[in-house]
Amino acid sequence: MTRTRIGVVCITVAVALLAAGLAGAGTRSHHHTGQNLAVKGTITFDGIWTASSGQKQFADVIKLFNKTYPNVKVNYKPVGDSLPTVLATAVAGGNPPDMADIAQPGTVAQFAKQGKLKPITYAKGTIAKNYVSSWQQLGTYSGKLYALVFKAANKSVVWYNVPAFKSAGVTPPKTFSQLLADAKVIKSSGTPAYSIGGADGWTLTDMFENIYLRTFGAAKYNALSAHKIKWTDPSVKTALTTMGKIIGDTGNLAGGTSGALQYGFNDSVTNAFATPPKAAMVFEADFVGGVVSSSTKAKPNTGFNTFTWPSITPGANASAVEIGGDLFVTFRDTPAIRAFVNFLATAPAAEAWAKQGGFGTGNKNVPASVYPDAITKATEAPISTAKSVVFDMSDQQPPSFGATAAQGEWGLFQDFLKNPKDVAGIQRKLEAAAAAAYKKGK
Amino acid sequence: MTAASAVEIPNPRDSVAAKTLRFVARTPLHIFLIIVACLWMVPTIGLFITSILPASALASKGWWQVFSHPSTATWSNYSALFHNHGMLTALKTTAYIAVGNTLLVVILGAMAGYAFAWLEFPGRDWAFIGVIALLVVPLQMALIPMFKLYDTFGLFDTVLGIILFHVAFGLPFAIFLLRNFFVGLPKDILESARIDGASEIVIFLRLILPLGLPAIASLAIFQFLWTWNDLLVALTFGQNTTPITVWIASQLREFGTSIDIIAPASFISLVVPLCVFFAFQRYFVQGLLAGSVK
Amino acid sequence: MSAGGITAEPPVVAAPPPSAEPGRLGRYLVGAVFLAPALFMLVVWMVYPAIYTIVRSFFGQTGFLGTWVGIDNYKTLFTTSTLLTAIKNNALWVAVVPAFVTAVGLIFAVLTERVRWAVVFKTFVFLPMAISAFATGVTWRIMYQQDPGLGAVNALGKTVSGVFSPAGVLSSASPSTPGLQATSSGALVLKTPAHPGSVVLLGLTGIAPDQVPKSAAQAVAPAAKQGDIVGTVWRDFKPGGGKAGVVEKQELGLPGVTVDLRDASGKTVQSAKTQTDGTFDFAKVPAGTYTTAIGAQTFAKPFGGYAWLGPKLIVPSLFIAYIWIWAGFAMVVIGAGLAAMPRDVLEAARTDGATELQVFRRVTVPLLAPVLSVVFITMIINVLKVFDIVYALAPQSEYGKANVIALAMYFTAFQGGGNFGVGSAIAVFLFLLVIPVLALNIRRFKRDA
Repeated sequence: MTRTRIGVVCITVAVALLAAGLAGAGTRSHHHTGQNLAVKGTITFDGIWTASSGQKQFADVIKLFNKTYPNVKVNYKPVGDSLPTVLATAVAGGNPPDMADIAQPGTVAQFAKQGKLKPITYAKGTIAKNYVSSWQQLGTYSGKLYALVFKAANKSVVWYNVPAFKSAGVTPPKTFSQLLADAKVIKSSGTPAYSIGGADGWTLTDMFENIYLRTFGAAKYNALSAHKIKWTDPSVKTALTTMGKIIGDTGNLAGGTSGALQYGFNDSVTNAFATPPKAAMVFEADFVGGVVSSSTKAKPNTGFNTFTWPSITPGANASAVEIGGDLFVTFRDTPAIRAFVNFLATAPAAEAWAKQGGFGTGNKNVPASVYPDAITKATEAPISTAKSVVFDMSDQQPPSFGATAAQGEWGLFQDFLKNPKDVAGIQRKLEAAAAAAYKKGK
Repeated sequence: MTAASAVEIPNPRDSVAAKTLRFVARTPLHIFLIIVACLWMVPTIGLFITSILPASALASKGWWQVFSHPSTATWSNYSALFHNHGMLTALKTTAYIAVGNTLLVVILGAMAGYAFAWLEFPGRDWAFIGVIALLVVPLQMALIPMFKLYDTFGLFDTVLGIILFHVAFGLPFAIFLLRNFFVGLPKDILESARIDGASEIVIFLRLILPLGLPAIASLAIFQFLWTWNDLLVALTFGQNTTPITVWIASQLREFGTSIDIIAPASFISLVVPLCVFFAFQRYFVQGLLAGSVK
Repeated sequence: MSAGGITAEPPVVAAPPPSAEPGRLGRYLVGAVFLAPALFMLVVWMVYPAIYTIVRSFFGQTGFLGTWVGIDNYKTLFTTSTLLTAIKNNALWVAVVPAFVTAVGLIFAVLTERVRWAVVFKTFVFLPMAISAFATGVTWRIMYQQDPGLGAVNALGKTVSGVFSPAGVLSSASPSTPGLQATSSGALVLKTPAHPGSVVLLGLTGIAPDQVPKSAAQAVAPAAKQGDIVGTVWRDFKPGGGKAGVVEKQELGLPGVTVDLRDASGKTVQSAKTQTDGTFDFAKVPAGTYTTAIGAQTFAKPFGGYAWLGPKLIVPSLFIAYIWIWAGFAMVVIGAGLAAMPRDVLEAARTDGATELQVFRRVTVPLLAPVLSVVFITMIINVLKVFDIVYALAPQSEYGKANVIALAMYFTAFQGGGNFGVGSAIAVFLFLLVIPVLALNIRRFKRDA
């Protein structure tokens, strides 16, 4: 650091101190009504968002909270993808964080059953004011409210490269057969149609789940999620065969099958929106937008856009929405935690993130106008308006089956990507793994 | 360093012509060695260059293209990282673990090493055989039971818990190395100190530790590097208390784009061991040799 | 690196015999005080857990000593495919890596023995030893990326292969109509025979807009010409797809493509280059039946890179990265052994007229045998315990293929699996594998003491 820089820093620090001192004095003399200085404490918070995927946005939410509660310190820790297993170990080890953000209702149910979670009954009033009752149900286990679904992601979205679609002369497909026809044309135009991030198993399960939802509807979807339908069921065969039409089209995948297996989620996004593009579309949730804007030069509307997952069976299934959600749970109960949970259930808390994009919510008091652009509005609005909303299937299952790297569903769908012809074999292995996981859960 | 002893001593009787001839004859060897040395450095250099390129540049170009477009290089990855609360905490945790472990291993190892070398008690040799047996025990043998035990005693997810695990598994080597070094110290110095009435504590502190410094330095460097670089122990016994390796591992899911976090963080994680290595290279190599050859 | 693993065969000097002095009990007490803390650590963190793990391995997956299952956990270990892969992979590690590390270390040590700048060389090669295996994994993951534009290893491959088989101008193209067929060599041949006066249309698709030469103009289907065979090669694609096999508006000619005219026997009789509108003209063709073809070199695929992190190569890729770390260790240890070797024996051999190779094989290697075996055994122990580098280098989609015992143990016991029974069995199995070395160490101590 140069001498001048040090000087600048010193001055900045001095000014900041001065300002802080004045502000403090102001608060004391004017009795600033907006602030609650009585609630004090530290909250440790384990979350899935890392520096590149939401940590900053959540920090802004915390910042807003601290305007009202300056004496509560929220220590957010980005754990990443392995959060369910990390948390399970921490709970088993007797040292869980104060709060955690869990994407898997299956995990929440497990912790609730073990009595590790503290109910958040105290926030019921705030939640009722802001969410319709079906969202309260999502956080309720055996009659008690344990979780707040703070953030929801619309997973029934496909992102496409606008110039690639334009140069191929295709428009976003409405039906699955149109999708396949478009893909063929896109391939003739010289760009592979699909960008698959198969190194992250969850991108593959998400694709399967959308296909299953679009083919058989929400009721059957939920039955399979709860393992009331076996994975050897003919419906699974139909859905896998449909999926094979996409992932089996090796020449139409960015990097071919071997590339698709090595690209992670982020790679799949950058591949589709690089110039020149390495593929034309990505099947993933609303959070693709964040990666597009942070790591590529593509601009909304002229560079990238979205369409709803094409319908497979006509009718009601076509508008169903699969969501992924972040369930906030508490392992302890302190005034500071209560204040934070209540705050998170309000519209301003959701808006603090929503206005930055990559954030959907069931909070009905968040106006659609808060979303930064038309694309975000188009992907997030259906979450609170859709008639039929289902939760990510793999997230509802026991973590050892639905949410562990290279194991269970994630690993087996990667095997399916390697060999999409072996539908029966994969069904058998999925059923065996699911049966084992559910048996252990009991 | 060992290479010093291998340096060729020029024979004064060699003529200039003979020297030149030999040099020419050995040119292919020199070229080969230069190529190998460069190849060996490529991955580390690649990591460094990757760490100073923005993610958008890395998505479409290989790191080596920085040589034709030097303007793309930027320190912004690093400055972003140094504003990252999690990374700084992880770095601090790593330092605590590495330093704490090193101190404890050196102290406990030296005490035990001294006992095995110069103090008498029944079953000394048998106990030492036990230590030798423990040298190769894989730490996997202790993961599950200690996980349970830590849970009971509140050591789970604490810096202390991680340190103590490392200390235990570092001790057999420490005791072994120091005992062998202490045994080689001149006996008469110790005997005369004892005759002068010095207590064992005084002898240990005033004589053994200073005389054993070379071996202790080697041991300390080994322990420091080992714990600094550890992944498995911290992965198992730390959840909120994570050193830098585990912190980077938790970012790995996003490999591809968050390469702008992983690469600089990995590079930061290896800067400290590299500095230690360069500063104490001599001791490092000595420790290595003491551990493996006669 | 493992602190324990660094030592394969300990050198031992006997401790002086306890002298018979007065106040023996007090001396015992002093010894006990000095020893107690270390002993406490060893017993609590190593001896007790080892016994626990051995016992635990005969019990079911959860609960402290829950259900006695006998040797079921060991049966699981040898019947579950992912665990078997781990054992097989570890066997492969033991078979390949120690030998390579020792060999590379030996070669480097011998070659640098009489080089003045050996210190610099040794520092460079030794440097990876100071880096964590985890950071090494990240480093090599960058090196191994499949796209030759991103991964340095494949970029090198591309440079080499570019010299021997350069990529064609239309490498990604494929025929737009079934009439145009690919031969086994990669050339495209139009099935419909041509005669003098014919017009031949060779439509291609799958060409990205940026791969079309800049000079390309609107494609033209030429008019038939008496005595000539004319035609056009064009990008048979316009937004929306267009009609296959028909030259339409918005479809561009492909200039600079070499078209061959082959006679009935398949021999090329004429070649022509296409114009900016894609047209070509074989002038004054004698009567007969011909076929037209575009040569394989036009479609030669650029080197696409090997999938180093894919299912086939992941294990060798791990080996390379691991050897990169440990070659320096072997080199330094062997180098020290070399330096300690009696010079006169070597000189005597040289004076007797032995070549350098003979000296190396007949004198150096046998004299170094003890050192080599130390390096070799140390490496065996290290590769048996290998964990970090697999964890960091292998993509999650290939954990199954890259699995090793230590990784399997961690995943089984702590990640998702949560099975302490099988996890303990795996740990015990790993322990059994290092017991020969343990016995060797003790025998050595007893012999020397």
